[in-house]
Amino acid sequence: MSSSGIRQVTQDRSLFVPAGLFLVLLLAVAFRGQGLFTNNGLAGAILVATPLILAALAITPIVMAGRGAVDLSVGPLMGFINVTLITWLVGNGITNPVAVIAWAVGLGAAFQFVQALVIIYVRVAPIIVTLSGFLVLSGVNLMVMSRPGGVAPDWMLSWGAGTSVFSPVLLLLVAAFAVWGVLRRTMFYRNLRMTGADERMAYTSGVPVDVVRIIAHVVGGAFAGLAALSYTALISSGDPTQGSTYTLQAVTALVLGGASLSGGRGGALGSTLGAINMFLISYLLSTFNFGTVSGFVTQMAFGLILVGSLLVNVFVTSRRAVA
Amino acid sequence: MVSTVMNTEVAMARSASPFRTHKSIAIGFALLACLLALGALLVPGFVSSQNARSILLLAAFLGLASVGQTLCALVGALDLSIPYIIGGANILLPSLMVAGLPAPVAMIVVLILGALVGAANGALSFRLQGQALIMSLGVGFAAVGAVQIYTSLGSQFGGTVFAPVPDWLRNLSAFNGKFFGLPFPPVIVIWAAVAIGLGWIMYNTWFGRSLYAVGGSRTAAARLGISEFRIWTVIHSASGAMSAITGMLLLGFSGGGFVGVGDPYLFTTVAAVVIGGTSLLGGAGGYGATVLGVLVLTVLTSLLVGLGLSFPAQQAVVGLLIVPMVAIYARSPHIRNQI
Repeated sequence: MSSSGIRQVTQDRSLFVPAGLFLVLLLAVAFRGQGLFTNNGLAGAILVATPLILAALAITPIVMAGRGAVDLSVGPLMGFINVTLITWLVGNGITNPVAVIAWAVGLGAAFQFVQALVIIYVRVAPIIVTLSGFLVLSGVNLMVMSRPGGVAPDWMLSWGAGTSVFSPVLLLLVAAFAVWGVLRRTMFYRNLRMTGADERMAYTSGVPVDVVRIIAHVVGGAFAGLAALSYTALISSGDPTQGSTYTLQAVTALVLGGASLSGGRGGALGSTLGAINMFLISYLLSTFNFGTVSGFVTQMAFGLILVGSLLVNVFVTSRRAVA
Repeated sequence: MVSTVMNTEVAMARSASPFRTHKSIAIGFALLACLLALGALLVPGFVSSQNARSILLLAAFLGLASVGQTLCALVGALDLSIPYIIGGANILLPSLMVAGLPAPVAMIVVLILGALVGAANGALSFRLQGQALIMSLGVGFAAVGAVQIYTSLGSQFGGTVFAPVPDWLRNLSAFNGKFFGLPFPPVIVIWAAVAIGLGWIMYNTWFGRSLYAVGGSRTAAARLGISEFRIWTVIHSASGAMSAITGMLLLGFSGGGFVGVGDPYLFTTVAAVVIGGTSLLGGAGGYGATVLGVLVLTVLTSLLVGLGLSFPAQQAVVGLLIVPMVAIYARSPHIRNQI
């Protein structure tokens, strides 16, 4: 991943800003203390950052498919998989790892498949469909489980210990990257970028845009399933409301990673960098002690860093347009 | 390439035609009538002055918060800073009053700050266009963080502020408020006045028409000498100001400052705009449509509450109904008909 990753960064200028921010943040974190660079620190970081990275990956293909298709439903979808996993599966004694993983990935893919069909055949703007999905799932989550509770399957409890870097959670991440790496080499990926950049042009060139959209959603849904698994491992229980907060975080990570919300531009590497940067920002801010106002300073600083890096993004993009 | 651009423009002009707008308004009224009839049939006590008052009161808050979202949607933007500015205004006002400012002065300060934050939001996000919603989110975080730092100076709790709310402010938006002796809270009248004023501005002023021009076709608007940047900044500033006003009025409703008071308005304002029939891509719709959307959403919620549904179930039903409601009038043509 690293050598091809470096090649991508040097070739794709939209990755300059996220990569630069990543290096700056890494230096700042190193300067503030060594906590992150120990075995335990790194293992904990992977555990905490993985749900966000996977959530950002889950909306990447959907956003790339264009039509302003920001998938607002990803957070509640993670929550939905989480609560159904705990209530319906574990609650009924089904804890077989294969069944649990298949349920998570299958449910995510199935939900996104339905959303794709609604977008294609009802022909309503995607953002309205996903807004509807957000509201429905936020409500249903609370109906399935009214308050946080339950326990994750026994075999998953060790996932959330955060004592080893090479934990199954890292495996989930690697699996997602492997899937993406395979997809990148297929015709689908090229068609996806064409559809996102200009759907009419793609359609007239014979690209099956509807099939591309369906595959993009299904892949995104499967990633959302992996995200929900890592999220369940992180909290080791069920939580009907916290999942929803991942929507805005994932969209933010995507934009920080240099993707365009209007489609065509973006990729797994950018989204991952964006998500890691968001984690590093909050980690860095947590090393400072602002006393009683700490939470508010963190919120303000986070907002300002977001504003700043978006402005730098604009600067770099406009430079490119001139050149 | 040229033909693609032209076709886009033609398609947009078609979707902005008066027939389409009127169709969505007519359907909105029909929907509202259906919901009211259903409520009258199914829920005892639905047709009562008490219920009408509570529906209009809740609709007024949502309606005032949706002003900015509608204006932004008309040029193809979404303002996600609305809930944070509402929350910020809601705690900043009592905290300024505790600091000794007279209530009217404090309100003007909060209003100006809201407009300034909105203007900053607009000026910063203009170049981002499609990504502007994340910029508004960042600006919202920064603003509410700064307000909480200010309010928590000298106290332990920055998120909640307790202060005596003046009686006239409480009367403005409390459930049992009186409007010159008439038995409904004045905030409903404020909302009606804002709606009428905004409707007049949108149809009769250079600014209002320019807004539609920018939303319909940026190229054409630029050729007419309309400053896209100015329009963009002014509407974001108006959105910030209206959010600040909503936050202050909500203080009169609840009686105590709480920063999370705006959170429900993040997606409900978008839902109200969408149900009303304003396109999120810009150019078509208006505040009149949003007023209908707000009323439909509030009456629907009231009906669901009357039927005994819990809050999560209400949310799920509203979510399920959004797609069919929008599909009645806002379906886009098949891609083979867009070429």
